[in-house]
Amino acid sequence: MSALTFTLKTAPALVQRIDCSALTSDALAEKSLKDIAEIELQTGNTTVRADSVFDISGDDVNNIVFVNSSDKLDFVGHSMTTGKITVEGNVGAYTGIFMDGGNIEVNGDTGIYTACEMKSGQIKINGNTGDFVGGARPGRKNGMTGGTVIITGNSGDRTGDHMRRGMILIEGNAGDYCAARMVSGTIAVLGDTGAHLAYAMKRGTVLLTQTPSRGISANFNDCGSHTLAFLPLLFASFAKLDSKFAQVESFSRVQRYAGDLAGIGMGEILVKI
Amino acid sequence: MIINGVTIDPTFAEAFPMKGTRIIITAHNAKWAMISAQAFTGFATSVIACGCEAGIERELDPSETPDGRHGVAVLIFAMGGKGLAKQVETRAGQCVLTSPTSALFSGIDGEIEMALGQNLRFFGDGFQISKMIDGKRYWRIPVMDGEFLTQEKTGVVSSVGGGNFLVLAESQAQALAACEAAIEQMRKIPNVIMPFPGGVVRSGSKVGSKYKALNASTNDAFCPTLKGQTNSDLSPEVESVMEIVIDGLSKEDIDKAMRVGIQAVCDLGAENGIRRISAGNYGGKLGPFHFHLQEIMA
Repeated sequence: MSALTFTLKTAPALVQRIDCSALTSDALAEKSLKDIAEIELQTGNTTVRADSVFDISGDDVNNIVFVNSSDKLDFVGHSMTTGKITVEGNVGAYTGIFMDGGNIEVNGDTGIYTACEMKSGQIKINGNTGDFVGGARPGRKNGMTGGTVIITGNSGDRTGDHMRRGMILIEGNAGDYCAARMVSGTIAVLGDTGAHLAYAMKRGTVLLTQTPSRGISANFNDCGSHTLAFLPLLFASFAKLDSKFAQVESFSRVQRYAGDLAGIGMGEILVKI
Repeated sequence: MIINGVTIDPTFAEAFPMKGTRIIITAHNAKWAMISAQAFTGFATSVIACGCEAGIERELDPSETPDGRHGVAVLIFAMGGKGLAKQVETRAGQCVLTSPTSALFSGIDGEIEMALGQNLRFFGDGFQISKMIDGKRYWRIPVMDGEFLTQEKTGVVSSVGGGNFLVLAESQAQALAACEAAIEQMRKIPNVIMPFPGGVVRSGSKVGSKYKALNASTNDAFCPTLKGQTNSDLSPEVESVMEIVIDGLSKEDIDKAMRVGIQAVCDLGAENGIRRISAGNYGGKLGPFHFHLQEIMA
């Protein structure tokens, strides 16, 4: 079997965004190539046949590849529970929204709301992400509730907004308001973080390997330097990941800051010392 | 059957189904991991009055423990899952949580899980922190020496308790030496513990008593001082009997432990005063697991 490949046609150029939520292993199971070609994809206020947008080849619905991708392809991996989706190129908003298993790898940048309300599985972005990675949809209280997101580049603003569980690993820098309104879970950053780190954070852990250049908010109190026993376990869990985090030398000595004390103050920023 | 002058009785040990789990206690160094494990497994020789049977399975190198520190693997067994959960929780709370630098992990997966540190977290008075790592939940409980880290749950597995054999010797010293030799070898076998003091019990019991309040009493048939007073099972030259009780995660594990233990006793042989190997049973009517001595040593 060969990977089911959706190659985005270059002409005519995309005018409207395309909802790709119907193109997952779950949705395509048991479908023939002909059935897949006839799938109607939402675009703007109309629908288009899948084969009018993509050249479709291959037959393995558990291994889906988007080639020549565009940042106008939204909802890639929507609610997927199994299989693997690989994206060659940039992709649009809501990649991996409601994802509950399986694996997404993007060789490019993603738009806003990547891993929005994700429940399980793994998303790896070999590039940068837009704002609200692992966040909740506007008006919703719980963002990501499980799974792992790896970003090899930089993440946008409000990474982990309302995040409830799971792990976001950022190999580059995180934007402003990283971990804002975070409810729980873990965000680790190898690079720098932007302004207003962990603003209104409730619980959870932000793990930093360097002191943030913008400093720690006055709403976080210094709890001193400590050796925390859970950190070796966390680093051991990184070892199996295809990420720079797997190569980070395990450490357990950290400076601990607790906050946001304007709220319940049960969150923590741990900075390697 | 006779091995090196030691008679292996044509009898069997009778054992019972139990519920068990393995936990791993780690600490700053091997000394403190052992102290915590010894506290956890204290007063856990017999379910008759202790509520559980527990023992140290073996010491663990840092490379074998979840947090990369020195550790000790402990096995604990009880007659049912509820009783086991109660014993694990109270012992973990009083003996591991309290022990300096300790951390507590599950050492076994099971179809059923029970609380390990799940309820100990409330000691954190709201400052406790949950962490999901690799699909397992851990609790970080702030304590005066730093943080107590505990896994939330541990697996419960169906196990076997009460495997045993009796060492009949010409003197107390010889019986003890033989049992010590047996225990030394049996401790090398994984998945088993010998829960009595030093692994050896000198007060084997029979079911029932002349006193209504007691459901077990001294095994008078094997008490050497009663040879002329009761229906004794001892020949004139036997002056001391000691028992080794084994609990394990499976019948096969107990088989192995009994084999190496009995072999160690037989290696000392008749020239060191060892006369017989026997076993305790209840006629085969109470326990579904029968360990036939001669089959094990065949």
